[in-house]
Amino acid sequence: MHILVVEDEAQLREQLRERLRAAGHAVDVAADGEEGLYYGKEYPLDLAIIDIGLPKLSGIELIRQLRAHDRHFPILILTARGNWQDKVDGLESGADDYLVKPFRFEELEARLNALLRRASGWSKPVLDCGPISLDTGKQSITVTGKPVDLTAFEYKVLEYLMLHAGEVISKTELTDNLYEQDYDRDSNVLEVFIGRLRRKLDPDNTLTPIETLRGRGYRFRLDASNG
Amino acid sequence: MHSLQSRLLLAASLVLAGFLGATGLALDKAFRVSAEAAVQDRLQSYIYALLASADEAENGRMLPPRQLPEPRFSKPDSGLYAVISKHDQQPLWQSSSLAGRNFEPTTQQPPGERHFSRFALAGMQLYALDFGVAWGDDSGTETLYTFTVAEDTAVFQAEIDSFRTTLWRWLGGMAVVLLLAQGAILRWGLRPLRTVTADLQQIEKGGSDRLDGDYPRELAGLTSSLNSLIEHSKVVQSRYRNSLDDLAHSLKTPLAILQSSCVDSKDAADDSHAIVSEQVDRMDEIIHHQLQRAAVSGRSTLAKPVAVGRVVERLLRSLDKVYRDKQPRVKQRLDTSASFTGDEADLTEILGNLLENAYKYCSHTVQVQVSSRQHGGVEISIEDDGPGIAADQVDTVLQRGTRMDESIPGQGIGLSMANEIIGVYGGQLTFAASPLGGTLLRVVL
Repeated sequence: MHILVVEDEAQLREQLRERLRAAGHAVDVAADGEEGLYYGKEYPLDLAIIDIGLPKLSGIELIRQLRAHDRHFPILILTARGNWQDKVDGLESGADDYLVKPFRFEELEARLNALLRRASGWSKPVLDCGPISLDTGKQSITVTGKPVDLTAFEYKVLEYLMLHAGEVISKTELTDNLYEQDYDRDSNVLEVFIGRLRRKLDPDNTLTPIETLRGRGYRFRLDASNG
Repeated sequence: MHSLQSRLLLAASLVLAGFLGATGLALDKAFRVSAEAAVQDRLQSYIYALLASADEAENGRMLPPRQLPEPRFSKPDSGLYAVISKHDQQPLWQSSSLAGRNFEPTTQQPPGERHFSRFALAGMQLYALDFGVAWGDDSGTETLYTFTVAEDTAVFQAEIDSFRTTLWRWLGGMAVVLLLAQGAILRWGLRPLRTVTADLQQIEKGGSDRLDGDYPRELAGLTSSLNSLIEHSKVVQSRYRNSLDDLAHSLKTPLAILQSSCVDSKDAADDSHAIVSEQVDRMDEIIHHQLQRAAVSGRSTLAKPVAVGRVVERLLRSLDKVYRDKQPRVKQRLDTSASFTGDEADLTEILGNLLENAYKYCSHTVQVQVSSRQHGGVEISIEDDGPGIAADQVDTVLQRGTRMDESIPGQGIGLSMANEIIGVYGGQLTFAASPLGGTLLRVVL
């Protein structure tokens, strides 16, 4: 997923970037409200993490302007004070959830996953498509009840495809959401990952959950059975 | 005597009563003196008339009058009496109006002298005038007589009474008119004070931010001082909150970095990381608690009242968003007129903590009720159908986080925080079992 982090404290910003990237997300960072607004307006994002106390443009104002520009991706606010006035102001300006500093990264990740899943129209934390079941909370996969072991990157690819089950996802969109902007797009790394995923999910080649549409991209073929 | 108006009215009325009373007494006294002088003159003229009608005997001695100058002298108990007495002897003559009663001249007077007096006779009050006369007979001997004429005071008293009635009636009427005028003047003169009071109440009710009326010069200093006081307290309050925000931000961000660095290096298999992480949590809890406590502003007199229902609605919308996965059913009964006199941020903090507690622990249902209390104030009930809090746990829950040396993880600090703010406002937080099955929190503010 493509995530924007707007945080003025350099060290915290870098830590978030590292950890989100390690968790398989593409991360852009901004140090102040104006820069955040630029990224938010110019790049296709899946989610933004915005600190309330930002220089130049306050977090609340940034969220308000993003929403005014029809940016509907989920937004998680970080607040230092953690008082309800701030939380309510943030949520009313258009944020979807809040987290009070300091926080544990696990907590942040759980909130992010819940927001991403909800944004894709899944109201439950477990995505079921036919025999394949993906638990966004535990980040685990089962096929007909048996657990399947995936790497973090494979999981992210599958999660993205399943969150958009039935839609055609272009290679560019997929790489955009999994890597930073300056990633080498010509590489065929993605095809290799898709191939591995197919083998792990469907060793007997009976389900064919991921189809390749020549020149257009990929599609998760199984319909959502809940959500 | 707590009202300026009644003070002034009382003082002015006392002065007025004293003044009118003294005037009345002086007039009464003056009238009495002149009325008595008139009585004396009248009695004198009776004496002259008697003297004129006295007969003379052959030897030139005086005989009592036969033709009386005034018929009342002959009518018994008429109230007008006369006695002629020769010095050192029995009375020479008594008018028949005395009807057998006797009276002596009060004093014997030398010729030409008179004496006016008042005395009692057989239950009557009389004014009497004694007048000395020397009567010369043919032989040239002078005999001394005293003519005494007495009149019942009833006539005089009737005159005095009628004068008094008129006098006090007039004075009373004037007093009433003056009092009414005074009351009207006071009302008019003190009206600006009432206007200021009404305007202040308007501010307290939230209708206005400052004193905007057109006040007289004497009050202008006071009202402009009040305005700058209101303004100043707002500025101080917001500056104080801002510096707390800055402090929170600058303390919490390093903690966040520290926390996340600890987790980063947990592979280092080093116990010290776990200790640091735990201590960061504790520091965070202490900072959170102390900053929240410092931010509570308490009840201030000129604070605008806050509509409680609106705050609850905002919080419910926010919580609905955050707890979208859980989607509890929220039943609300909000009295829109219920208001809280205090800081909106404080109220938001109290209700935010309590409502989040209900959202967190409910199974499916949260119920909120806001109502105005009969004698001012507001009551808020928040219920859930969760597991509830055991009676013996209530104190522990409320004490959580208040003692700095306690190392309980950051959960549940909200209720104790809310309880503390409620305490600052002199309100009350009570726990009970809800009919829904969980906890019923009742806040009175």
